[in-house]
Amino acid sequence: MFKKILIANRGEIAVRIIRACKEWGIETVAVHSNVDKDSMHVRLADESVCIGSHLPANSYLNIPALMSAIELTKAEAVHPGYGFLSENANFAKILEKNNIKFIGPSSKLIKMMGDKIQAKRIAKEYGLPIIEGSEGGVSDKIKAKQICKQIGFPVLIKASGGGGGKGMKIVHKEESFDDLFSEARSEAKKYFDNDEVYIEKYFQNPRHIEVQVLSGKNRTVHLHERDCSVQRRHQKLIEETPSPVLTNEIRKDLFERTVNMVSKIGYEGAGTVEFIYEDKKFYFLEMNTRVQVEHPVTEMVTGIDIIKEQIHIAFTGETALKQSDIEPRGHAIECRINAEDPSKNFQPSPGTIGMCHQPSGFRTRVDGSIFQGYKITPYYDSMVCKLICHGRNRNEAIQRMLRSLDEFVIEGITTTINLQKKLLTHKKFIESDFNVGWLDNDKFYTS
Amino acid sequence: MKIDKKLIKELTDYLNEYGLTELEYGDGNTKIKVSKLNSLIASPDTKETKTISSSKITETQVEIGTKVTSPIVGTAYLSSEPGGKKFAEIGKKIKKGDTVMIVEAMKTMNHVPCPLDGVVKEICVEDGSPIEFGQTIIILE
Repeated sequence: MFKKILIANRGEIAVRIIRACKEWGIETVAVHSNVDKDSMHVRLADESVCIGSHLPANSYLNIPALMSAIELTKAEAVHPGYGFLSENANFAKILEKNNIKFIGPSSKLIKMMGDKIQAKRIAKEYGLPIIEGSEGGVSDKIKAKQICKQIGFPVLIKASGGGGGKGMKIVHKEESFDDLFSEARSEAKKYFDNDEVYIEKYFQNPRHIEVQVLSGKNRTVHLHERDCSVQRRHQKLIEETPSPVLTNEIRKDLFERTVNMVSKIGYEGAGTVEFIYEDKKFYFLEMNTRVQVEHPVTEMVTGIDIIKEQIHIAFTGETALKQSDIEPRGHAIECRINAEDPSKNFQPSPGTIGMCHQPSGFRTRVDGSIFQGYKITPYYDSMVCKLICHGRNRNEAIQRMLRSLDEFVIEGITTTINLQKKLLTHKKFIESDFNVGWLDNDKFYTS
Repeated sequence: MKIDKKLIKELTDYLNEYGLTELEYGDGNTKIKVSKLNSLIASPDTKETKTISSSKITETQVEIGTKVTSPIVGTAYLSSEPGGKKFAEIGKKIKKGDTVMIVEAMKTMNHVPCPLDGVVKEICVEDGSPIEFGQTIIILE
């Protein structure tokens, strides 16, 4: 096994990785920016190296500084966590050249799956349904209409040159296509000086479903799905497994196709394949070639430590797991606790934590890096910790989560704890009758 | 700029009412300081004081420079992209509502709007530097 691993990250995920390493007797090196010198990941690691100033570009994204820290501490492998350099093919390549193991797939695969167009092409090639649409921009009305007929209405017309809703039209019926297509083009011309538009399928009621995979040279296994449809501005707030909306038949098809693609591309490590799900159909979105924030819900139901599996695959090249080993039990939910004020449009709320009491108890887990007196700086992500609860079924998991959220005390900053309570008791959540746009369209939580 | 005489009178009345020697009042881009410090020290004679109180104002200072402060703690950026055109440049005019700089807090980019029309006199922070809530970021004249 590796003797020493450097963790190229901060916050709760750095702590999570250090914990896994410690349990296996692997020495750990924390890297940190100057403002993070008192963080929990620095305190828990065996060694720590300050690699730069508060700006991510000067520290956590600073490859030369990280390479120096690796050399200085003689670390054999690097765990990138999520975010920062976790999907940076260049960083992985530099490590490969220097014979330092990057705990994740090869730089070639990161690059391949990181290119959205290429990833979509690969997914299609290996039998995953993709979001249908025009391959590029269309300007001919007749051709555009043909594409729409192939996709099926409703469709979304988007300006190639920009975003922000300008030049964007939803066409529900074929009859209204001509007018809206012309309108979209003239708006696109007006705002972006480019009247090129493209067309893709419009989702009216989309859910976000993703499949966790672990893959080595010997085989690929899946660890079932996660449903991450409670989002605000495309950022996940609550994740759960299993998804309350999938049927076993669809689930089986989804897993088979996902495993097929992941094994065919020769993937090594942990990964997540993300999908949009609507009307009993799933559509490939992208593949994340790293560990996800929400990985603990899968760990709770499967009993598998995903971080340790990542380290094992990185060291041996193979996964020790067989598909028959993976039998999820019960239901798990994760709530992200962010330092933000939901009533003020999720305005960031940095500050110093006063009183801090984290919940515990039966099947209750907190993955975090906060403590009393810890200063949450404004320089990084607003997520301060995650609360994960496991129940025999969804109802019990919700009850346990509400009980745990009630126990949580974080003074000194505004958090999403109260919002999470409102969401978990909301009829729509209980009945799982919502889509990814729920919180952006219905701001019931601001009052 | 129009000087509000009524306001100055009101301030000097407070000065006497509360037995103060100096009082500064600010509202937006205007600051008014009333003081009877010099006269009082020079002649503590009550009679004199009375005369002063009738003329009341020994100093009325309206500061020209207006400080624009950061509404949030975070990292200051002087342009929208590295090496890009700066939002505010010394000596250049800036309009009310124009972006003065961007303050990044927890991955959220917050545009700080200029509170009034003016000319940039001084830029008080460096690109990429950490700034605190209420810290002066630019001075307008």
